[in-house]
Amino acid sequence: MSSEPNAYASHPPRMREATILDKVVANGGVMSIALFFIVCCLFFSVTTDAFLTAPNLLNVIRQSAPLLIVAAAMTFVITTGGIDLSVGSVLALTATLSAAALQAGVPWPLAILLMLLLGGVIGVIQGYFIAYERIPAFIVTLAGLSVIRGFALLITGGYSIPIEPTSPFVALGRAWILGIPAPALIAIVILAVAYIAFNETHFGRYVTGVGANAEATRRAGVNTRSVILWVYVLSGTAAAAAGVILSARLGSGSSNAGQGFELDVIAAVVLGGTSLFGGRGSLTGTILGALTVAVLANGLILSHLSPFFTPIVTGFIILVAIWLNFRLFRGGAKGR
Amino acid sequence: MTDTHVSRVRMTGISKRYGALQSLDNVSLDLKPGEVLGLVGDNGAGKSTISKVLSGAVIPDAGTIEIDGKHVAFTSPADARAARIEMVYQDLALCDTIDVAGNLFLGREPKRRVAGVPMLDKKLMHERARDMLSNLGIVIPDTRMKVENLSGGQRQSIAIGRAASFNPSVLIMDEPTAALAVAEVEAVLELIRTVSQRGVSVILITHRLQDLFLVCDRIQVMYEGRNVAERRIEDTNIEDVVNLIVGRKFAARSAGHNREKGASA
Repeated sequence: MSSEPNAYASHPPRMREATILDKVVANGGVMSIALFFIVCCLFFSVTTDAFLTAPNLLNVIRQSAPLLIVAAAMTFVITTGGIDLSVGSVLALTATLSAAALQAGVPWPLAILLMLLLGGVIGVIQGYFIAYERIPAFIVTLAGLSVIRGFALLITGGYSIPIEPTSPFVALGRAWILGIPAPALIAIVILAVAYIAFNETHFGRYVTGVGANAEATRRAGVNTRSVILWVYVLSGTAAAAAGVILSARLGSGSSNAGQGFELDVIAAVVLGGTSLFGGRGSLTGTILGALTVAVLANGLILSHLSPFFTPIVTGFIILVAIWLNFRLFRGGAKGR
Repeated sequence: MTDTHVSRVRMTGISKRYGALQSLDNVSLDLKPGEVLGLVGDNGAGKSTISKVLSGAVIPDAGTIEIDGKHVAFTSPADARAARIEMVYQDLALCDTIDVAGNLFLGREPKRRVAGVPMLDKKLMHERARDMLSNLGIVIPDTRMKVENLSGGQRQSIAIGRAASFNPSVLIMDEPTAALAVAEVEAVLELIRTVSQRGVSVILITHRLQDLFLVCDRIQVMYEGRNVAERRIEDTNIEDVVNLIVGRKFAARSAGHNREKGASA
């Protein structure tokens, strides 16, 4: 038998360190939404005069603050492989209750605190059924969507409750601090905290772990149930904060607020490349996703097109962005 | 090392039932410090279940576990880990979308405090991950790679590396060599020898019988959820072990069943 020395001769290693291109492909979800975001911004900048002005851009952020805040929390939920359909209802309930509380003479800081607490408690209840009773998140929060909206309607009788415009509470939605609208400022702070929590803390790591392989994470000694419970506490509290900000901005609490809000939030998160199957999430993507949805709505109005085009265009973009993930950035969307 | 009198692990009368299936029926297992025990049996014999009991992932219906002579009751994998029992799972238990270092440290990530807030110390994690892997002779070019992008052998190496690197007193390996290339199998067996020489007790579950004869001190055979035989490695050979696993002898001579069992106990 002849040996084949050449076949065994040294050759360059087959594995190499990740290059920039690898990283771009691995973050395909974020890249495709970034592309859409830039294209949208460029398009409206060219076609309308009003879009690319500081007041308009700040207004976009101000209006999309509730969306950004809840989408940040929803990124945690969806990364664990769960979903929270009740956020729109929680928003409506806290919007009406904060208006009702102010009308009843509750001091405004206490009213805000109570609303955040209420959102957290709703999260604990839903999270308990999901994490400890193992009922699918879709079902638990679908029930929550119905029940919580029902409470909001019951309390208000379907009317909206006005908030005294002189109350310092409305500043939360209307004030400008250092040239930035207060809701935008709150959203930016929450997004920064969420980004750090998601990427740099143990909790964020375990959220990804639970979504990627819950059993492996449990075997590694992580209390996966408490991680799951906490993400719903986060989304409940975030939805409550959004409700407070919305009622403060509008100057009234309406039980019909946030109809379909949960779908906008989920759309923003999914647009950002977070996988509905769990284990793969990106807060950068979520921010870009939420802003893309907001810029579209704003830009279409500025273009003097019917605002009813917004859902149509948003829907198409969701489909195309996800399709791009699967095709163009196949590496990053492996098996998903 | 194996003539010490206090057992590292002594499991007695372990039983576990899943619905209609009696997965474990009065199983016992004894392991001395530094001993390498081969656990063999056909699929469904209960090898994986008994090892999961020891690693705290499965809570038995009956039976007792002693570690170094002390009675313990594990209610979670964290309990077993606190008793320094590590397990490499057959299904690897890796998180695909987390990087190599993150998987190595999952559940015990080093902390650093930024303004009093505990955060992941990623830099330290990657540094220590590189050291851990190179100590074990495992070649991974970049600890920042996600595990989903690694080959089967590399994934196995990460799983073993994770278990072996945290100073375990008992290391349980469920089919550690099943997905490995020839050279990688040798490396794993060498790793088993190294850790057992340091006094770590090893339980090796494998279908690769030739591996048993290279590293094990003793072999325990399971059949349909029961212990059926135990052999010192020098007293047996592959043919004997195969017969014990498939239970041909027992089936053929049902009258001699008890005698055989008694002789091997």
